Amino acid sequence: MSGPVRPYVITGGRSRPTRSDLAIESLVSALPDPPELPEHVLLNREHRRILGLCHSLLSVAEVAAHLGLPLGVVKVLVGDLWDLGAVQVLPPVPQAERLPTTLLEEVLVGLRQLR
Amino acid sequence: MASANSAEAPADVPAGPQYLPASVQGAVKILVTGPFGVGKTTLVGSLSEITPLRTEETMTAASSGVDDLTGHSGKTTTTVALDFGRITLNPRLALYLFGTPGQQRFWPLWDDLSRGALGAIAMVDLRRPDESFDVLGRLEEQRIPFAVAVNTFPGTPSYPEEELRSALDLLPEVPILYCDARDRRQSYDLLIDFVDHLHRSSLLELPG
Repeated sequence: MSGPVRPYVITGGRSRPTRSDLAIESLVSALPDPPELPEHVLLNREHRRILGLCHSLLSVAEVAAHLGLPLGVVKVLVGDLWDLGAVQVLPPVPQAERLPTTLLEEVLVGLRQLR
Repeated sequence: MASANSAEAPADVPAGPQYLPASVQGAVKILVTGPFGVGKTTLVGSLSEITPLRTEETMTAASSGVDDLTGHSGKTTTTVALDFGRITLNPRLALYLFGTPGQQRFWPLWDDLSRGALGAIAMVDLRRPDESFDVLGRLEEQRIPFAVAVNTFPGTPSYPEEELRSALDLLPEVPILYCDARDRRQSYDLLIDFVDHLHRSSLLELPG
């Protein structure tokens, strides 16, 4: 029980994010003026690494890749920071059941310009 | 063509994180899937504005008969590598491309990875098309809009489209697209054709 278990030590045994709406393409950035943290809140090393990395916008997946942490772990930790008001999270764009035609148009126009 | 990609050229260490412009308001994603070795990472690399990144997800699954040589029952933990890339489409919107393994044993990850995806590009190697059956079935079941992408690297056999469609048991609305995933231009054309297909389908589904 060595390797695979270790990530869950980092998250204090939680394997689900506190905010279920975090996706791998959710975008994260640390807030420039985070609120004072309550006294009982202790950020661990990995929380601090996320705050240090995310001074500008990155996806949850990019945070995981740059810090060498599994995606599930990063979702939990980013969820913590989000709950504390220390980061801003931009949820994925299609939030409706059906894909909006205008969104697909926007993607298409962008790709054609970059081609 | 000036784009959001070059607007804020980072002057830092090349290997460091390449941040999105602060104006970006959200992201969309498309899955690039298919069997091991089909060229998912190559396609993601041809399309991505950033050096493709690799991340890992741990997956807990019931031990299958094949893997269970020790006689243990219960759960096993597997690590799955996901390669992904990014395209900043305009100052407000980014697209992520996630290479997603297409074998049945990775299904526990799929709900999470596919939620909210615009669609999936299912890559097929015509030398071993049977390895794509799992993933094509899964995409149909989950009702994820998809296209089949034949990776046409040298030595790929060619078949008439109708033969291929019937061999892969594809519904008539699923497009079959071709590209050499090593070529940026061809890869872009593939992605554009796919999103164009999604766009046209969305127009057809409009009520009234």
